[in-house]
Amino acid sequence: MADDLKIVGLLCNWCCYGGADTAGTARMQYSPNIRIIRVMCSGRINPSMIFKAFQEGADGVFVGGCHIGDCHYDAGNYKWSRRSKIVEDILEEFGIEKERFRHEWISASEGEKFQRTMEEFHKTLTKLGPLELE
Amino acid sequence: MSYVLAKSQNDDILKAGECGGAVTSILKYLLDEGIVDGVLAISPCDDVYDGIPTFVTNSEDLINTAGSYHCAPTMIGGLVQKYFFDKKVAVTAKPCDMRAIEELIVRHKINKDNIYVIGLNCGGTVSPVSGRKMIDRFYEADPDDVVSEEIDKGKFIIELADGSEEAVKIHDLENEGYGRRTNCQRCDVKIPRKANIACGNWGAEDGWTFIEINDEKGQELIDGAKKAGILETKSPADAAVQGREKVEGIMINMAKKVQNAIYPTVSEMDEWSRCISCYACRDVCPICWCFENCELNKPYFKDVQNIPPSPIAFQGVRLSHMSFSCVDCGQCDDVCPMDIPVSLIFDKLQKKYFDRTGYVAGVSDDVKPPLYSPEKTEL
Amino acid sequence: MLEIKHTLCPSCSVGCGINVILNDGEIVGTFPYKRHPVNAGKNCLNGRTSIESYQNKFQTALVSNSETDTEKAIGDVLKELNSVDASDVTVICSGNNSVEECKAIKEFGESKNYNIAFYADNLKDFGEVASYDDIENAASVFVIGDLLYENPLIGRRIVHAKQNDAKIYALGKSDKSVTFNIADEVATGSVQEFLDSNSANIEESSVIVFNYVDGQEDLEKLENANCKVLPVFSKSNSKGAFSVVDAKSEEEMIELLDNTKVLLVFNDDVVNDIDYDFTKISKIISFAPCENDTTAISNIVIPIKTWLENDGSFVNAMGESQAFSAVVESDVLSEIEIIEKLNG
Repeated sequence: MADDLKIVGLLCNWCCYGGADTAGTARMQYSPNIRIIRVMCSGRINPSMIFKAFQEGADGVFVGGCHIGDCHYDAGNYKWSRRSKIVEDILEEFGIEKERFRHEWISASEGEKFQRTMEEFHKTLTKLGPLELE
Repeated sequence: MSYVLAKSQNDDILKAGECGGAVTSILKYLLDEGIVDGVLAISPCDDVYDGIPTFVTNSEDLINTAGSYHCAPTMIGGLVQKYFFDKKVAVTAKPCDMRAIEELIVRHKINKDNIYVIGLNCGGTVSPVSGRKMIDRFYEADPDDVVSEEIDKGKFIIELADGSEEAVKIHDLENEGYGRRTNCQRCDVKIPRKANIACGNWGAEDGWTFIEINDEKGQELIDGAKKAGILETKSPADAAVQGREKVEGIMINMAKKVQNAIYPTVSEMDEWSRCISCYACRDVCPICWCFENCELNKPYFKDVQNIPPSPIAFQGVRLSHMSFSCVDCGQCDDVCPMDIPVSLIFDKLQKKYFDRTGYVAGVSDDVKPPLYSPEKTEL
Repeated sequence: MLEIKHTLCPSCSVGCGINVILNDGEIVGTFPYKRHPVNAGKNCLNGRTSIESYQNKFQTALVSNSETDTEKAIGDVLKELNSVDASDVTVICSGNNSVEECKAIKEFGESKNYNIAFYADNLKDFGEVASYDDIENAASVFVIGDLLYENPLIGRRIVHAKQNDAKIYALGKSDKSVTFNIADEVATGSVQEFLDSNSANIEESSVIVFNYVDGQEDLEKLENANCKVLPVFSKSNSKGAFSVVDAKSEEEMIELLDNTKVLLVFNDDVVNDIDYDFTKISKIISFAPCENDTTAISNIVIPIKTWLENDGSFVNAMGESQAFSAVVESDVLSEIEIIEKLNG
């Protein structure tokens, strides 16, 4: 796992961050390339944060939120899910493969899903290689 | 929604105005009755190519705003927002002006109750400098002798001081890189139906203005102006209504053809390497209203070291802020010192957004662009 | 009450048009002047912020940094002028002044036998120069200086030339030069080297555009070039001022400043332009609309009308004279009125 791929992970405090915690407590192995930033809700993530991450050298950006219906703030993850489509459309404009941007709903108990998602995402990024922005 | 044909009862306005002078007459009615404090309309300054937004408070001055100015690609949304929020005003608006006004109303930046919008049907505008070059090149006339211009039946028609006319097919002009501005060529909103009334000559008989009344406020305007004795109206014949629909349909079809062209992505366009980070595109955008608070001014995005700026950290951020509300007015193209076709990607993203949501900026009836709504729906 | 009025951009010598927005008589913003043939409504950041000089203008005269009545300050100026020999007084004219003002300044200086100096970026008048359209139609363009960034509306013409298949050769002071982004060949050496190494490429159909030189010998070289050239200045009316006053080189300016006891600066920022120890001059008197490096060290500062309050004409880099008129009324004195007062 001595590769240099950088993944920025924006995780919702109430669910996905807990999921990552569960994975950690259970000593589940996954690639260590992710740098986790805890946010209070996926609904507070602006597209510009994703762009900033890519501009600063991230090879992939992951967003984790609560399952639909479970949002601590009622509808934050709906907002994020709509916003994520805009992010996809815009990333395409700048020649960033849409596979480099991924979002999943992961609950606090789903440590195994977090592990699996990270492994998959890492595999995808390994295939794509480092991101080169002009 | 209903239709009327209208004509001014004032001889001076009838003479100076375009096809019936209804717009100027309605504005005069609004001013004379004290319904509005002022009128924001376009009047020519240096010459017919120099249409400048002009605020009129005395109805005698309205005559200077009569007539249509296709070589005046102005945008009034920003002016209304910045300077008229708490004033009762009437404005004349092309479809893109209206769409900008509508988006700003949604953002609580324009107070709908304070504003009367007299919409103007629009087949497109021409940039003044390239318009003069075009007349010099494709017409027998001297650009300085042109007293008025008109777009009709697929032709760009100029009228000279001696009363003679010359016409060239728009298609031929546009094939050579002249004619209407590129965003006007692809614009498929030709009638501003969010305005209280939408006026134009399409379908109208000579000397009359065809008016589409869009809401109650619009109906009150027409009724009031009639009662004040400044406007006479009659019902249009069915043929007139159909004629107008036909013109609109042809215009929209022409636009759709242009839209079918394949637009490059930002990363494929080498124009972006010319960007000098002057922010003119942002500053002129009628939808961008944050001004100094713009996220691009924040230290984490302000990049004074690197020019051109990283496209994703500049236009990417702007796209995410407002592309879904882009009204394709083309102002960003017009003011870019480096002639980057900025509006191309913004319009493209708004159309993608339309494909996902059915939302057309400044046209759809949704209260808010779906991105802002608290509704529990996914795309 | 909203009004939009035409004026010219004072930021450099390109001569762009700009519209000014007034709300209830106050200048509140700028608006594109799309009818203007030079820039078609496009303005750079400097152009769009040029109205700040009006918003930040001096409210009163300053004598030794304390606020004073203008009449009294003019009296102090006269006292200073009368206390020295005419040959010790130097009058600095500037490309910031309109043609009319330059004439008045020259007449004033000559009638009093003062030295008259005018500095235009160490450049000089080239008489007949390339027009902006010539740049667009050139077979190759040689760009000396970062015109894309510093004079973007000339930069635009260079972009057009490139679109017309011209080859662009750029010389910059550093490799951060923004013009390099569009150039085919780039260099960062001296002007002399740039011109010599490209001598074979410079043809009759080329245009050389420049906004700086390293020294006077470069000017000679440019003057003898076998193609059209276009010097672009940092001040709006440098080209117009040439027709009134001869420009001095940096060396000549320093020599003159060495022999100056009282320096009268008419709307110029000579302190910023010339690397010189200005504390050697016993009195500096500035006539300026708003603060700059020169007014900061001036003994007396007399406020003058900004271009927004004034009528006049500027001659742009390609030699076209453009008139402008006041967009706001003001009771601040113009330079011409001040000169009348100085003449008694």
